[in-house]
Amino acid sequence: MLCPAYISVKINMFKKLLAFFFSLRTAIWLLLALLFMLLFGSLIMPARPEFSSLNSMPLFDWLGENKAGITWWLYGSILLLSLLTANTLLCSIESLIRKQQSKKWLLIISPQIIHIGFLFMLLAHLLSSTGSFRGNTVAYEGSALALPNNLAVAIKDITVELSPSGYVSDWAVNIEYLSDGKGIKEDYLKPNSPSFYKGLGIYLKDIRPYPVKTVLLEVSREPGAVWALIGGLLFMLGTVTLMILKIKKESSS
Amino acid sequence: MIIVAVLSIIFYLLSLYRGFLIYPGFLLQVAYMLIRGIQLERLPLVGPHDTLFFLSSSLVAFAIPFMFSINDERQFVGSVSVIASVFAIFSLLSRPHNIPLPPVLRTYWFELHVGLSFFSYALFGIAAVLGFLYIRNKDQETEILQYKAVLIGYCMFSLSMIFGGIWAYLAWGTYWLWTPKELWTTILWIFYSLYLHARLRKEWMGMPSVVLGIIGFAVTLFTYLGVSLLMKSSHTF
Repeated sequence: MLCPAYISVKINMFKKLLAFFFSLRTAIWLLLALLFMLLFGSLIMPARPEFSSLNSMPLFDWLGENKAGITWWLYGSILLLSLLTANTLLCSIESLIRKQQSKKWLLIISPQIIHIGFLFMLLAHLLSSTGSFRGNTVAYEGSALALPNNLAVAIKDITVELSPSGYVSDWAVNIEYLSDGKGIKEDYLKPNSPSFYKGLGIYLKDIRPYPVKTVLLEVSREPGAVWALIGGLLFMLGTVTLMILKIKKESSS
Repeated sequence: MIIVAVLSIIFYLLSLYRGFLIYPGFLLQVAYMLIRGIQLERLPLVGPHDTLFFLSSSLVAFAIPFMFSINDERQFVGSVSVIASVFAIFSLLSRPHNIPLPPVLRTYWFELHVGLSFFSYALFGIAAVLGFLYIRNKDQETEILQYKAVLIGYCMFSLSMIFGGIWAYLAWGTYWLWTPKELWTTILWIFYSLYLHARLRKEWMGMPSVVLGIIGFAVTLFTYLGVSLLMKSSHTF
């Protein structure tokens, strides 16, 4: 049988842990620690060639291939962000419960919308850090590239416009998705306008008009993109609302 | 055309003696950017020449509403004029980027991303000026004005990051790149998140948050100029 003193110690420890996660002070120290972790990272990153491959593969795959000597700040940031997630969730819930009787509901809810937006953005990064995919290839007019799920994409036409001074001023690439050799969908790649099909995005990374019209294409899958967009929109909504309300409040007080 | 820009700096420096001269200085800056925009057929927001000049004029533009609320208007106008002049002088020392924009930069996302970034940098600069005035005068109203400047700046900076993410996803297939510039942008965003959270606690209100507001502008300047000039990234000048 457990002795009462032992149970009391455990309960106290649990209370202290909860108090830690419910505290605004914790959020402040976690933000400060995260700030320093990223600062170290920004100094380490340009000095080590290993980081050149970080943008072409999922973060967690990259972490598995590289030594802790250069990745410790990334592990540290992930740990701090995990703690910050728990802190954000608990603080938001506690704030909503504590202030539920308040009539200024917009002032109460808008910081929580910002927090939800922030958490969605973290979720987006988590999904992209595990399940993203990126592959580059060179293509010409008339060539075709194999895609996952028995799909392919054919490059039908490449149009390049040059300015009088010789710079590329505009471009468009006509593509067609193929399934078992049959055309199923036609689309155009333009500047800032990629083509999306069944979760894959096709982007034009580079274009050469001479000697043969050549394009560097990237096929990518970014599973966090939708969540990042939702998170961004919520964050935007919450921030703008809170800003207006806080300025009104400060001006009237 | 350069004479218009030089005249704007002269007016800013003269506003140290007669505060109202900041207005013609600002109008001349706007005129310079308009002429450049018409010549280039785009918003002049590429390279250190245009961005420093835009930052200088944004600083004055956002300072004007604060001038009507601050008690020590003379000191405030003087400080803003000096900083705006320094940015404008460095702008004129940099070579203008006159070649046409690559197709990927010809989008409203780019203009929103860059424009809002510099508006927020300007507001963080104003917050730093207000911070110094608070340290000098210990006027509670000035601390509140600093908070307002940071809050509006933070809001614009957040919007700029979100628009930048959407643009990056459409242009390059990812909303995030691991480069020093992105890390420092996140550091800056975390720093001002820290300021806004810290100010909610009584012990951080007043002097500690004011000092944070001043340090924040140093972080802003490093994020804008330091990283762009010293570290390799997607935002290198």
